[in-house]
Amino acid sequence: MKKIILLLVITAMAFGFTYDNKVITVKGSDTMVILAQRWAEKYMESHPGITIQVTGGGSGIGLAALINGSTDIANASRPMKPSEREKLKQRYNSLGVEVKTAKDGLSVYLNEKNPVKELSIQQVKDIYTGKITNWKDVGGKDAKIIVYGRENSSGTYVYFKDNVLGGQDFTSTMQSMPGTSAVVNAIVKDANSIGFGGAAYAKGIKFAAVKKDASSKAYIPTEENIKSGNYPITRYLYLYLKTRPSDEMKDYIDWILSAEGQSIVTKVGYFPVR
Amino acid sequence: MKKYVLLIVLSLAVLTKISAQEDSIKTTTEDLKAKIEELKGQVEGLNESYLETKATVDALKKIKLSGYIQAQFQSAEIDGISSFSGGNFAAGLHNRFIIRRGRLKVAYDNDITNYVLQIDATEKGLGLKDAYVLFKEPWLKSFGLKAGVFDRPFGFEISYSSSSREAPERSRMYQTLFPGERDLGVSFEYSPYVPFEDFLGHFNFKGGFFAGNGINPEVDNQKDFIGRLGFSLPFYEENLAIDGGVSMYVGGVKLAAGKSIFTVNNPTLATADTKTTYADRNYLGLDMQVYYALPLLGNFTLRGEYISGKQPGGSAASSSSPTALQAGDLYLRNFSGYYLNYVQNLGDKNQFILKYDVYDPNTDVAGDQIGAVAAAKLGAGDIKYSTLGIGLVHYWDDNIKFVFYYDSVSNETSSKLAALNSDLRDNVFTFRIQYKF
Repeated sequence: MKKIILLLVITAMAFGFTYDNKVITVKGSDTMVILAQRWAEKYMESHPGITIQVTGGGSGIGLAALINGSTDIANASRPMKPSEREKLKQRYNSLGVEVKTAKDGLSVYLNEKNPVKELSIQQVKDIYTGKITNWKDVGGKDAKIIVYGRENSSGTYVYFKDNVLGGQDFTSTMQSMPGTSAVVNAIVKDANSIGFGGAAYAKGIKFAAVKKDASSKAYIPTEENIKSGNYPITRYLYLYLKTRPSDEMKDYIDWILSAEGQSIVTKVGYFPVR
Repeated sequence: MKKYVLLIVLSLAVLTKISAQEDSIKTTTEDLKAKIEELKGQVEGLNESYLETKATVDALKKIKLSGYIQAQFQSAEIDGISSFSGGNFAAGLHNRFIIRRGRLKVAYDNDITNYVLQIDATEKGLGLKDAYVLFKEPWLKSFGLKAGVFDRPFGFEISYSSSSREAPERSRMYQTLFPGERDLGVSFEYSPYVPFEDFLGHFNFKGGFFAGNGINPEVDNQKDFIGRLGFSLPFYEENLAIDGGVSMYVGGVKLAAGKSIFTVNNPTLATADTKTTYADRNYLGLDMQVYYALPLLGNFTLRGEYISGKQPGGSAASSSSPTALQAGDLYLRNFSGYYLNYVQNLGDKNQFILKYDVYDPNTDVAGDQIGAVAAAKLGAGDIKYSTLGIGLVHYWDDNIKFVFYYDSVSNETSSKLAALNSDLRDNVFTFRIQYKF
């Protein structure tokens, strides 16, 4: 009898433990991985019963995980594609729930030694589609442009392709890097390189000031320029959920959008939405 | 003096030691430099190797392999029934194990061009399912051309893969009008490459010309037109989506020499036509899908389709679309059918299914009129059926799902047809396990 009672107590404790320790999984955008980790760390400090597991991999990977049910939240640095919404509709009868959590200036990175200070959107497009291959064509020295970018599972890749390249393909000479940090590291080492990524990653490199067209004024991705809309390549950073959040999930999303959650957005280097 | 000598000796000793240390440091620095150079070479070698591997992996990523297997157990009310719940039961059997699908799909996705080959391997044999090339123009990336064997662009249920579909089978209406779902032909597709919020982003069109025989060789010179204009309206704030479309089938079935097309729309006499070469095969379809979330219950979808038109069948006993050259007379009927399908999420892992479908192969006659007069050429192929299905889907993990489903089938009765003078005992229970990757 004692053994049975002991077994029941252990079982109850095991279930109790499982119930109390709610796990929220977050997967997706590499651009957002630092931000998501900071959110998770801070939130878990004040909510000891909640474990938030954050992994990167890219927006496409995160959204695929949301569709196949292996993550609770997908981080994405681009809006969900219609094809992804279709899959979500098929499996969960839902369009998904989109939460805009931060704003980012999609920055064009240059090596600090590069004399080029500003580029128009058209020039950036021409460099990334392979029409311009030498820095002298955009006011720099006579040197081949080394083009770095992201892999196609990245939301930054998709956003840049759709909004800067107008849907055209990247040049075949672009070296695809597995994360924004890798792009930045490559640019730090290569004086003739160019890359793109989130504003929060800019250590050891400089931003190119970007102008809408040849006659416009060029702006760097500062908070002021992004909020005012002057910086021409801005985007939202999103969280996606399968259905409307409830319980712990709702509490976490509400906290991300609260003053405390949004202050972390600023600390990491992005721009709050509230 | 001794002190001076001692000082000089000590100084020499210290200097010698310092020199030795400097030599040692010099040697160590050179060693380190050599090591760094060596490591640098190794890293560059690894980087080169990585880039080569990456190029290979990138090329391989274009090849996509997917598939699913559906194994199921079914139990019918009595032995040897005719059924649309996975096919007829063999004589003497009222329960069975079957592999409903054993699909393997290989696709090569080169962004604007696609190659797709899909086969189906079951205990009944090996069959071709898809074999097509898809080409998209590179400028707007909105227009595409598809050629080969692929799903007919009609309605919703054809293109809704059975691996995703909640109910085990398509409705009787679809199985009768579009056996095998696919056809051989060429299709033009318009799917605007614009942000989804743009007005045009809510619409799409697929339409083309097909042989009209399913996955079978061409048998006549006439091509059938099949097309669908679809829309998708999302209301994000409300988490509501309304999708739908209008579909059309305009085609014909070739009449064999010396045979007749019987228009079977009169309970006393069928009119015969021997002059027309092709019997009309014309359908008009409407489909709609609504996705929404109910308070407490969660997300659901309600889907419905309605199709009506003219359908040429191969006999008085069947209104199914011919899939080969017809040797006998053709029976032309005005038909209509519809289905409603409700799927309610029960958490993330379970779904409740309710489906009701009706197919009336001949809307001009009913009940005892069928089989009453021989000259009317009416028979089992004119009997109306309705099916109420109820079931549960459980998603075990990303790959495996279980389906429990019961089909309750009701038929129109005619006292003039011995085999159909009462409701048939043809209800079927299905338990399915599916693995998809």
